Amino acid sequence: MKKIFNPKSIALIGASDELGTVGLGLAENLLEGKDLRKIYFVNPKRQEVLGIKCFDSVLDIKEKIDLTIIAVPSKIVKNIVFNCCEKRVGAIIVISSGFKEAGKIKEEEEIRDIARKYKIPLIGPNCLGIINPLINLNASFAPITPKKGNIAFLSQSGALLDSVVDKNKLRFSKVISYGNEADVDLTDFIEYLKTDKETKVISIYFEGIKDGRKFMRIAKEVSKIKPIVAIKSGRSDKGKEAVGTHTGTLAGDYSVYQTAMKQSGVILVDTLEELFDISLSLSSLPKCENGIGIVTNGGGLGVLAVDYCFEMGIEIPGLSKTTISSLEKNKAIEKVINKNNPLDLLGDALSDRYAVAIESLLKQDNINGLIVISTPQLMTEHEKNAKIILELRNKYPLKPIICCFLGGESVNSAIEYLELNGIPNYPDVKRAVKSINSLIKK
Amino acid sequence: MEILSFEETKKILLKYKLPFCKTEIFNSKEKALLFAKQIGFPVVLKIHAQKIFHKSEVGGVKINIKNEEEFSVAWDEIEKNIKGKNVEGILVQEMVSGNEIAIGMKRDSQFGPVLMFGLGGIFIEIIKDVAFRVAPTDKEEAIKMIKETKGFELLNGARGKKKVDITNIAEMIVNLSNLSTKEEKIQSIDFNPVMVMDKQTLITDFRIII
Repeated sequence: MKKIFNPKSIALIGASDELGTVGLGLAENLLEGKDLRKIYFVNPKRQEVLGIKCFDSVLDIKEKIDLTIIAVPSKIVKNIVFNCCEKRVGAIIVISSGFKEAGKIKEEEEIRDIARKYKIPLIGPNCLGIINPLINLNASFAPITPKKGNIAFLSQSGALLDSVVDKNKLRFSKVISYGNEADVDLTDFIEYLKTDKETKVISIYFEGIKDGRKFMRIAKEVSKIKPIVAIKSGRSDKGKEAVGTHTGTLAGDYSVYQTAMKQSGVILVDTLEELFDISLSLSSLPKCENGIGIVTNGGGLGVLAVDYCFEMGIEIPGLSKTTISSLEKNKAIEKVINKNNPLDLLGDALSDRYAVAIESLLKQDNINGLIVISTPQLMTEHEKNAKIILELRNKYPLKPIICCFLGGESVNSAIEYLELNGIPNYPDVKRAVKSINSLIKK
Repeated sequence: MEILSFEETKKILLKYKLPFCKTEIFNSKEKALLFAKQIGFPVVLKIHAQKIFHKSEVGGVKINIKNEEEFSVAWDEIEKNIKGKNVEGILVQEMVSGNEIAIGMKRDSQFGPVLMFGLGGIFIEIIKDVAFRVAPTDKEEAIKMIKETKGFELLNGARGKKKVDITNIAEMIVNLSNLSTKEEKIQSIDFNPVMVMDKQTLITDFRIII
């Protein structure tokens, strides 16, 4: 596996300079890291591609190859896989489609069996490839290389992966399109990521799982060490065949998946937004005990946050005598008559009020995390607020702070500043509450 | 897909310590009546057949049979209803009542045996208030599973109802878990209803699909 994500040499079989081909996309992406590793192109029909010499066969390359990427028509994949095995390459990624997904089960088993005979891991077929942003390795035909981060994203769908990567807000440690899982499957990747130091959160989109029992065994083990967040598509029970018992009818596919994920410690979510919201919080903030404080400059939004907290079982402790008296002593907070949690700083709150409120709440023992809501009033000092939050985050590093700065252009630079410094901002109260909920130790 | 024969069902239930109410299968009315008298009225009559999944829809169930005359009428009626159908025999069961629950298992192609628990009657059929676990399940997990259902409050003494000891139920779930991990040819199981009483928990209707 290490060779897949940290290859010293790569051969691309099916390199092309024809516009709009997968072979060109892969060639261009691979060349981004040409200073960091050896890149070889193989294509018997071409002398060179993008200024790089093409070999006729992988067997003609004299040097050792850690990773080969195969992007040729499906009917010749078998021969090429065989050549790669003869060459004793470190690992193989088959990008080409036209296998199990097209009903060609036998063809897929053939390439799997060849690779297994030579004990060479094979990824795909029918996948987009893999990306390791940390070492500028883009062995895929995704449109761009995402920024470095600590979320590993695994997707059964290549197209979805494209759209996620294209959203440059998200940062990844690994991006993996695992395709048909002929040999290496989702669970193998999860097991690898368990000890991957760069990965803090494992985020998965899947349609189905190849070996449910194996997945449960590994996921149970890995989720104890780092969070696994997943979304599953194909939930409607279209295949409700007669099973002869009530139990059979009630235990539809998705309910079984829900149960299996829960038992394995995997957080199963409903939407892609939630998948990445929660992954982001888990990857950038510490976990905490139940008990959350809410600071806001809009009463209504505070109440809304409390409603969501209540629904999700999040406790909102009242303010202690010590907290109240420390607030009372402070001139900045004079105008705030109701000293409760949520603490409504009123619409005209300036940054000094936020500073005092946030610190007082963070100081209280049974408040273990904070949601800071800010709406754009005429006088609101967004950027100053953001700076204060960052300072206090650094002062109280064990208590996660999630921001909910709402508004349009006027708040953009403050949000950017927060995000750059690892403080997630969600432009919706429910998303903020859900995210902090994922941090609470259950 | 067919229902396991009564004799096989009985063997399996005994092997995995899954207690069921007194039940025997008969093809002769006289012998059946003798057994009914032996276990005491009221009794239940119901057919057991490999391919009949809805016993009451074919007129194959009679409950609360209080005496010999009623028994005779019920038996004849069932025989008439199932004429020409392939039926293994008619079960004579003691009639027990208690809190109704349902326990089941389905073998999932991906995850293997999945266990189900729910309160019986409308809770399972209409509200679909059930909890699942991928087997194997131990007692502690089985208790969590029972508590997960909304209906649990009714077993726990809500609205002045008598509180039920759920450890018997949990034990039954664990035994079903053992069964399902060992008997791989069994595809699906319904114990519905299971009657939870003060001192014991008894399966009163079973369906094992192979």
